[in-house]
Formats: sequence, C-alpha cells, structure tokens
Amino acid sequence: MTQPAAGPPTPTGAQAFAWIPRAVIVIALLYLFLVGVSSLEAGIKALGADFQEGLLERVDHPVAGLFAGILATVLVQSSSVSTSTIVGLVGAGTLTVDAAVPMIMGANIGTTVTSTLASLGHVRRGDEFRRAFAAATVHDIFNVIAVLIFLPIQLGTGFLSDTAEKLADFLAGSGVEGGKADSPVKTFVKEPVSWAEDVFSSVTDSDRVLGGLLMVFGLALIFLALTFITKSMRLLIADRVERAMNSLISRGAGVPGLAVGLVMTVAVQSSSITTSILVPMVGAGVLTLRNAFPVTLGANLGTTVTALLASLAVDLRAGLVVALTHSLFNLFGILVIYPIPAVRQIPVQLAERLARTASRNYLLVGAYVVGSFLVVPMVGLVLFG
Amino acid sequence: MVFDLFRAGDAAGLEAAEAKLVQMLADDRHSFDVATSALLTGADTSIVGPDLRETDARVNRAERELRQALVVHASVHGTSRVAAILVYMSVVKDVERIGDYAKNIFDVAAQGIDLSDAPDSEILTGYGQRISSMISSASTIFADDDREGARRFIREADILLDEFDQHVSELVVTERQGKEAVPRALLYRYYKRIVAHLMNLLSAVVMPLDRLDYFDEERVRP
Repeated sequence: MTQPAAGPPTPTGAQAFAWIPRAVIVIALLYLFLVGVSSLEAGIKALGADFQEGLLERVDHPVAGLFAGILATVLVQSSSVSTSTIVGLVGAGTLTVDAAVPMIMGANIGTTVTSTLASLGHVRRGDEFRRAFAAATVHDIFNVIAVLIFLPIQLGTGFLSDTAEKLADFLAGSGVEGGKADSPVKTFVKEPVSWAEDVFSSVTDSDRVLGGLLMVFGLALIFLALTFITKSMRLLIADRVERAMNSLISRGAGVPGLAVGLVMTVAVQSSSITTSILVPMVGAGVLTLRNAFPVTLGANLGTTVTALLASLAVDLRAGLVVALTHSLFNLFGILVIYPIPAVRQIPVQLAERLARTASRNYLLVGAYVVGSFLVVPMVGLVLFG
Repeated sequence: MVFDLFRAGDAAGLEAAEAKLVQMLADDRHSFDVATSALLTGADTSIVGPDLRETDARVNRAERELRQALVVHASVHGTSRVAAILVYMSVVKDVERIGDYAKNIFDVAAQGIDLSDAPDSEILTGYGQRISSMISSASTIFADDDREGARRFIREADILLDEFDQHVSELVVTERQGKEAVPRALLYRYYKRIVAHLMNLLSAVVMPLDRLDYFDEERVRP
C-alpha cells in the first residue's frame, strides 16, 4: 500500500536564510516611513502658524474631527497612512491631542471600507455575499460601537488621552522616549529630511511652497513605504498566516484568534490585509463569523503599531500620546465588548442582520457604502467643520 | 495557533494539499483492496465492513479539509495561484470518487455475492490487483509531477478502459443468469470508473487547466 508522502524537505542552508534580503528591505522601508513622517512634520512647520491654526479650526469640533478621520482614511484606503499623518500633525504642534483623538477614532471606522469593498466581489452568489458582507461590516459595527462608547467618555473626562499621558510618562521613565527632538530615531531620520529641505529650498523661496513640497514628499514616502512593507511582509509570512488560519478553522478562534489578528497585522502593517483575508474565507463558509470576529479585533489593535512607530520620528511628545491613545481606544474597546459573551454577540448579530437585509436588496449595499463612508462624513464636515 | 505565525518548516498551502491527496489515494487503495477481498476472495463483509467505512469517512473528511485549505490558500495568496488551486479542487473530487466506487464494490459483496470460486475469478482478481497497483502508481506520478509517467499511465489505462467496456458489452448480451451477469457487469463498470478517475487525476499533470479530464492525443502519445 502506498505510504503517505514524507513531510516537506528540510530547508537547505541557502533556503533557511532566503528571508534575510526581504527582511532587510522591510527594515529599509520602515526607515523610509519614518523619514516620511519626519518630512511631513517639517513641511507642516514650514507652512507656518496661519496654516496650522486654519487646519485646527476646521477640525476642532470633535464630530468634524471624527468625520475628517473617516474621510481621510477612506480616501487613502489605509488607517496606517492616516493615523501616521495625524501623529505627524500632532508631533508638529498643528493639532492638539484632544483634536486628534476623534480623528483617530474616525480612522478606525474609515479603514473598514476596504474589506467592505472586498465583500462586494461575492455579490453574485447570495449566501456567499451575505456571509462575506457580514464579515466585513462586523469590523465597521464594532468600531462604531466603540466610538459611541468612548468618544463621549473622552470628551467628558479625557480618559483615553489622560491614560495615554500616564503611559507615555511611564515609558519615558523606562527609557522609551518617542517624540524627543534629540531622540536617536529622530536624529537618524533627520538627515534625509534635511537633504530634501535643501533640494526643495533651491527651487523656491516661499516657505509655503517649501512646506507643501515637504508635506507631499513626506506623504508620498509614508504611502509608498507602507504599501511596500505590506507587500513584502505579506510574501514573507504568507505560509505562516495560512497555517495559523487553518488552525483557527479547525480549533476555533477566541483569544488566540485575537492574538493571530494582532501579530499578523503588526507584521504586515495593515489591518485591511488581515480583514480582507478573512472576508473570502467567511464568504466561502470555511470560517464562521464568530471565529473571524476576534481576529478582526486583533487586527484593529495591531494596526495601532504604525502610529506608535510614527511617533518615534516626531518632535513633540504629544505624537506618542496620540499614538498611545489610538492603541488604548482599541484595547479598551476590546475589553468592554469582547469578554462578555452577550455583549460580544451584539456587533456580530448586527452585522448578520445588516447582511441579511443587504443580500435581499443590493441597492442598500450601495447606499451603505457610499452613505457611511462618503456622504455622511462629507455632510458632517460641512455642518460641524 | 499564534505560534503557527512564528514557526517555519511545516507544510502549508499546496504542499499540504498534495500530501493530503497522496494520503487520500493511500486510503482509496486500502478501501479498494478491502472491497475486492470481500467480493473476490470471500473475506467476511461483517469483519472488513467497519474498516472500509472508517476509511471512507476518512477520505470524505480529507476532501472537505483539503477544500477548506484551498479556500484559505486562495484567501491568503490571492489570485497568483488560482490555476493550481482549481486543479486541486478538481482532482480531489476524482480521488474521493475512487473511494466511493470501492464502497460500491463492497456493496455488491454485502449483497451476498462471492466470486472467489467463480471460473473467471482469476481474471477478475488479476484486474483488481492491477488497479490496486495503478492507484499507487498514480499517487507517485502525481506527487512527482512525472509527465512522462503520466502519459504512459494514461495510454495504458485507456487500453484497459476498452477492455472493461468489452466485458460489459459481452455481459449485456450474455445468456447467463442475472445473478451471474449483473455483479460482473457492475464490477467491470466500477473498475472502469476507478481507472477513469485515475486518468483524470493524471490529466492534471499533462493537460492545461481548461482541458482537465480531456485527453489530448498529441499530449499523451509517446
């Protein structure tokens, strides 16, 4: 009788180290990301106090800030880019922490548009679409619930930002100091920004133009670096992710699923990648929504690492505080919603109900996507901005 | 589960799918051997039956797991491996059907049919042994992606299909009693389907995706 196939061959010496070039590329890209944040900060400063005050006025109202965060993230399709930009703005002194917190919360909501759009690929098959859409929208619904709980608390008590301040103090005491002008990271990324500044200064005498060029340069670096980090890391860890997902299916998720989502998202620097992997699996029926949900929550938390990294490259400690606020917002959201089964079911059941309705009326799908992610934020900005 | 993200070296994705297919074929061969032993050598069906049912359940479970794994693979890797994924989705069905036909053979024996003392038992057993060996060969050829081996297998199997068709045709017009003719016709039919599914499996080695299960003369001739 045929013997089962032997296991995979042990990697040779060369194969065992094949990951090193890609890892080096990722480290280089991380460096470019930090340079981008630093350049963004420098550009904002160069634009001058008038610009900064003008921007602050527009988003000073928390609801305006929330909708600005949603809209910005929908447009760039990445909460990592938008939250890094917000950290850059705070780090440059343009935004206060209090003004930034609603924007960070908005970024959390805006990023779910990617997996929602991914679910639309299943629209031709009713049950498949219903499952996929539920998997995508459970992320959105969780974030909205978290905002409904914590935004009023933050506005009323400053709980999140105060806790983040204390955590920043603790980290400073432990030697982890983001946001210092003379921090090793800041020093390391300053040089390329100086070069860029010199180059742009040679083509313009205007501080505003210089600031604009540095901002565009910074944003481009942030966007490109994160895009390629995501691509590279995805290739690097794809097999491991696949094994973890297969384990998740066979053993169920729970807290380990949360950890999988967290680690995966930290690795690829994108919650959208993680959630977009879950959507087809849930759509196909091989992963249940209840098992996908904790992975989604882990992804929510994991994506806050990008903002923390960005805070290493900015001048003001406030950048670290707002990055920590982002992490705490997601962490407390999980702690409030996930541990108690009855509460945990709320976003899941709401997502299932929404998906059932959407699968019977596709116009509603379009209205949901366009309305939630574009119309409502734009109207909100106009009304409250 | 979390440690899967940090551990390297275990088979994943298509490697794991291939290993599972090979294991399914091993189980298929076992099912086939058990079934033919019941029908052709007089093995007690009440004794070998549970073994066969357990093996069949294992094959069915493996098919579901393999399909799940392919969905996960597609979700993680995107469209870059869609051709291979579709191939495995197609051939796993063929491999699972081999187990089903083995069960069908056993079902004939379970009806009280015993061909161990039949005048043609040597011929029937010879075919059985040959097919058992072919299941093993097909597994190796598929795992090794042996294109020449696949072509050779398909050519030889095609001849065998004609032989089985000939036997069935003879039984259709025979004057033998139903109790003699029908089990033999069924057996040759099941033999033929098993060989055909093995050919479908190996068509994945030599044929492009859109022509799986079709045999291009030019691609299989020596």
